[in-house]
Amino acid sequence: MNILVWLSMILLVLMVAIGGQKGARSFIALFFNFVILIVTIMFMVDPNVNPIILTLIATTILSCINLFYINDINIKTKTAFISTMSTIVLLLMFIILITESAMIQGFSEEEIEEIKGFSVYLGVDFVKVAASVIIMSTIGAITDTSISISSPMREIYRHNPNISRRELYLSGISIGKDILGTSANTLFFAFFGGYMALLIWFIDLDYTFGEIINSKIFSAEMITILSAGIGVALIIPITSWVTALVLMKAGAKEEEE
Amino acid sequence: MWFKGLLNKLTKMQLMTVIIVIICFVGSFLFVDNNHEFYNRTIAEVNEAELIDSDEIVDFHGNEDHIFVQKLIAKIQNGEEKGEVVHLNNEYSTSRAFDNEYSVGDELFVSIEDRIDESNELSGSILDVKRDQYILLIAWAFILILFFVGHKQGFYSAMSLVINAVIIGLALDFYIQTTNISLLLISGVSIILFTVISLFLVNGNNEKTYAAIASTLLGTLILFIVTSLIMWGTAGEGLRYEEMQFVTRAPEMVFMAGVLIGALGAIMDVAITMSSSLFNLYEKNHNISVKALKESGMDIGRDIMGTMTNILFFVYISGTIPMIILYLKNSAALGFTLNINLSLELARALAGGIGIVITIPIGVYMTIFFINRKRAKV
Repeated sequence: MNILVWLSMILLVLMVAIGGQKGARSFIALFFNFVILIVTIMFMVDPNVNPIILTLIATTILSCINLFYINDINIKTKTAFISTMSTIVLLLMFIILITESAMIQGFSEEEIEEIKGFSVYLGVDFVKVAASVIIMSTIGAITDTSISISSPMREIYRHNPNISRRELYLSGISIGKDILGTSANTLFFAFFGGYMALLIWFIDLDYTFGEIINSKIFSAEMITILSAGIGVALIIPITSWVTALVLMKAGAKEEEE
Repeated sequence: MWFKGLLNKLTKMQLMTVIIVIICFVGSFLFVDNNHEFYNRTIAEVNEAELIDSDEIVDFHGNEDHIFVQKLIAKIQNGEEKGEVVHLNNEYSTSRAFDNEYSVGDELFVSIEDRIDESNELSGSILDVKRDQYILLIAWAFILILFFVGHKQGFYSAMSLVINAVIIGLALDFYIQTTNISLLLISGVSIILFTVISLFLVNGNNEKTYAAIASTLLGTLILFIVTSLIMWGTAGEGLRYEEMQFVTRAPEMVFMAGVLIGALGAIMDVAITMSSSLFNLYEKNHNISVKALKESGMDIGRDIMGTMTNILFFVYISGTIPMIILYLKNSAALGFTLNINLSLELARALAGGIGIVITIPIGVYMTIFFINRKRAKV
């Protein structure tokens, strides 16, 4: 049997065995994510569609699935959703700027063997596609960090209803600080695992340090890793601020009633 | 006024750090702006760019695009011809999939080909773009944001990333120098180093860290065994190694090492989440029962497994988007395109997911073991 079928089956069995219903839901969400990613690519192929707008729509749907479907709709996931979307918009502007100026879009000299025989004049704006790739690779980590902050903040507020907004914000930041290191680590190793072959290739073919640093493919990968890191750091103050604001508003409403 | 107040608040140590950071910041930018002499390849800065021709084209598959031709005049920044002017031609398209549009101020690596007879000026061709200043810019943006958000912890996280990057570099270099050591053995040793260093740096020297290290290593080992068994059992059926990029070595080994190192960060994350939260519960209530610990641990695990698997999934799958677009626009069938471009990335993401999920019970039991050991001591 196909190796992918085997791996999926083992993952499904483990998720259900360890996570029960929630595990099953996580697996289904993974499947949905896959489908949405493929559908997004199908739309991206059309030159008349702006990849950036498409990405914003796709990330909205993806974060809805990962926040609301896995965790239900409640004040924690709602604030996490608002924070995720604001971070993505901010990050996207920065990424478009840097992909445009560093010219890391499309395919590199190293991939010439692979794209030989293909037409590269496709009418699709690859600069925008490159920015969209970077955002898409970060979305999982951003939603994860966001929910990991808003969820304990809700608990803190429940146990100390008299806490001030500033204190609540600071407790969010302090939770964020604890997870910042491990989140950055997770992303870093994930990317490195993917780039192992490339690194070996660089050393095997005697690339000089200057050639590696300036090559399109290495720069693209560094920019992706670092943008992802900036994303998980940026989401921390944003989520803390939004959650503190929303919880305070919601708390005030409860008192009035 | 506030600036003076801020200055008074800072300790001598902090002031020194700030000054050193500012010096490094300014120094590094000055360096990449003036490092042309360190390069062997000729670098030229574009002074004039003129569009001389544009054309509409339709390829074999009906894709429409525009092709533009630019004439560039650039000034050479290093080497024997430093200060001379070079004439370059550049062709680019609106899609820019395999070409770039250059504008005044861009720095390019060029090869000098000829002297134009009448004017005695140089002509050449463009090799690549000088991108080091952008890498530096984003690296600083990353370090500063990490520092502003995380202060000391942010600094430690950045440190552990740098140390891990150096270890990866050294390990791969060692692997390539010595021909007869297996990549898996080197990866194994590196994985132990990464785990110990990152967890100590992020989490400090305490029982929580020991429990997390033990769970990470056990989780990674089980992931290795499961993946190898499947790869051996199916003889790798369904993995399109021929589409693996940049392979100069046995692809199975490179793939396997990539799977393990790729999942390692996520596995560490799960392990540390399990051990810190269970130790927290124990510290709040020293008499908490093993059963209660186990239940809370599994609850936390259930909450994180979905989002953690998602992280790996998006990191791996998103990178294939440009190649899939290329295939689809060249009239390749959807099934074939996905099969060829996604098999390795999907396998990586799924295997990573298995590692994450399996580390949840491992983390719970391992932490309970360490908590019981601590209890016995008290």
